[in-house]
Amino acid sequence: MLKIKDLKASINGKEILKGINIEVKEGEIHAIMGPNGSGKSTLSAVLAGRDNFEVTSGTVEYKGIDLLELAPEDRARSGVFLGFQYPVEIPGVSNVNFMKTAVNEQRKHRNLAPLTSAEFLKLMREKMEIVEMDKSFSTRGVNVGFSGGEKKRNEIFQMAMLEPSLAILDETDSGLDVDALRVVAAGVNKLKRADNAFIVITHYQRLLDYIVPDVVHVLYNGRIIRTAGKELALEVETRGYDWLIKETENENQ
Amino acid sequence: MKISNYKYSPDIPEVFRCRVPLANTIQTYVVNGLLSEELVAEQYSLVRKSCAGFDLKVNKESQPDQNIQIISFRNSEYLEKLEFESTINVAEGSSCKVLLCTHTLSMDSFETNEVINIDVEKGADAKFVLMQNEHNQSKHSILLNINIQEEAKFKLSVISLHGEALTNEFECNLNGENSYCELNGLYLVDGSQTISTKVNMRHNKPNCKSSQLFKGILDNNSKALFSGKIVVAKDSQKTEAYQANHNLLLSKSAKVYAQPQLEIYADDVKCSHGATSGRLDEMALFYMRSRGIGREEAKILQQLAFAYDVLEKISNEELRARLSDLTESRLRGEFSHCSNCSMNCC
Repeated sequence: MLKIKDLKASINGKEILKGINIEVKEGEIHAIMGPNGSGKSTLSAVLAGRDNFEVTSGTVEYKGIDLLELAPEDRARSGVFLGFQYPVEIPGVSNVNFMKTAVNEQRKHRNLAPLTSAEFLKLMREKMEIVEMDKSFSTRGVNVGFSGGEKKRNEIFQMAMLEPSLAILDETDSGLDVDALRVVAAGVNKLKRADNAFIVITHYQRLLDYIVPDVVHVLYNGRIIRTAGKELALEVETRGYDWLIKETENENQ
Repeated sequence: MKISNYKYSPDIPEVFRCRVPLANTIQTYVVNGLLSEELVAEQYSLVRKSCAGFDLKVNKESQPDQNIQIISFRNSEYLEKLEFESTINVAEGSSCKVLLCTHTLSMDSFETNEVINIDVEKGADAKFVLMQNEHNQSKHSILLNINIQEEAKFKLSVISLHGEALTNEFECNLNGENSYCELNGLYLVDGSQTISTKVNMRHNKPNCKSSQLFKGILDNNSKALFSGKIVVAKDSQKTEAYQANHNLLLSKSAKVYAQPQLEIYADDVKCSHGATSGRLDEMALFYMRSRGIGREEAKILQQLAFAYDVLEKISNEELRARLSDLTESRLRGEFSHCSNCSMNCC
């Protein structure tokens, strides 16, 4: 589904990603871990199409198409979803309107008729249940006055509405208490299917107690320094990152 | 009869197409300053002044249930500079809902200077909406002298959708204790349009409250001037007065000049003012795009969100919905042709 090859990206001339290689197949959950400043958020932003990063080399192939060529909205319409680490507040735009516009733009892209108000509200009710979101949130401004946990639930709710093929969740666990974490993780697990894939970016192993990854990558200083199964996450949890970093440095010498 | 002298003047309601038709509303027309039909009802009266202008009176203790809509427009029947004065009296203990609309119905150049004197008497409750939709050859200045007596409430929302040079001046006097004045304004300008808003909010008596919220969206080379002053007299203790002016600039060459001023002579007051100008929030645009909403649509959503704060203050739900729709079509650039009349001449 997704093939990232030798991806390099920089911001203001400073190289952040120094050659990333990842391949994600349908039905897989990948976790990307790494210490602060390793490039995790840059990777998700580049995949979603933020234009303040410059891709200097490499390719990203998504379902056989060149993802980097697409505008952010076209990536989304093709089924790529980014769950933000810091979801943006948009005062004055209600959650209902926001989602209705998004869902119908996506449907238009797929040559489907727009949902009627009744169909849309039914869909919205179903999906809000997945993340145990109170229906009063639907009329409120997007993320306005939401707590950290509510914002993250809203991200998962939006993901449920848009049913992406590839969801990239950028530190969705940051700032969550255990209850919110469980709700968010349960939401992801409910949405997992054989034909979609998740990339879960996280600083801690905690989230991976609830969302079990097939593959774990450790990102450090713009490179993937280790790729292994879910046991790697547990090892990082007990031993930290330093031993991995040292091993990598020794290998390089 | 010479053909060249013949002037076709069909009935106004046939030509003019009101885009905010409301239920339960009396519609009247003021054509080039002249009221076309006088109305005398039990609860209110709307009559001509000796020359141009109108005189609206809501009788004492009356609460007309209908909205009164006064549609004022200019057309090619009168091309000189037009000056006229109208009066609106909302008598003691009465209430009213008034919608004033201004339009231009032919592509000629117009210059209009209008004065509206509004008296809101003791205990009265007046809700006004002024909608301006004029073409790019229209210069229109309106001076509103608003006098509010004790226990009275006055609320005005000004939605300025279109016009080459609009000047709105508000001289508000809170002349009685416990009176209330609320001004809300939304202006949308583009091309070389200018809009100038001047407010003098005078708290002449204690225990009064006023609030002002003016927001504008500016594109191309347009300009907005805002000069707002709150004056609190020496003995006007327990005054609450707030003022805010926020501007969203869509282009590098749009300009806004804001001049908020406070003159406070009393010492026990709550007053605030603030003026800002900003651009579209790139992060919010990206967030919307990452959900599949196209860039242009995301920009429109953000502008509507910005305008929403002012539109939501309109109490009449139906009117609020209509004006929101008009605001949206204006922001989508659908006002480049005149759509207020059925003549399709421009």
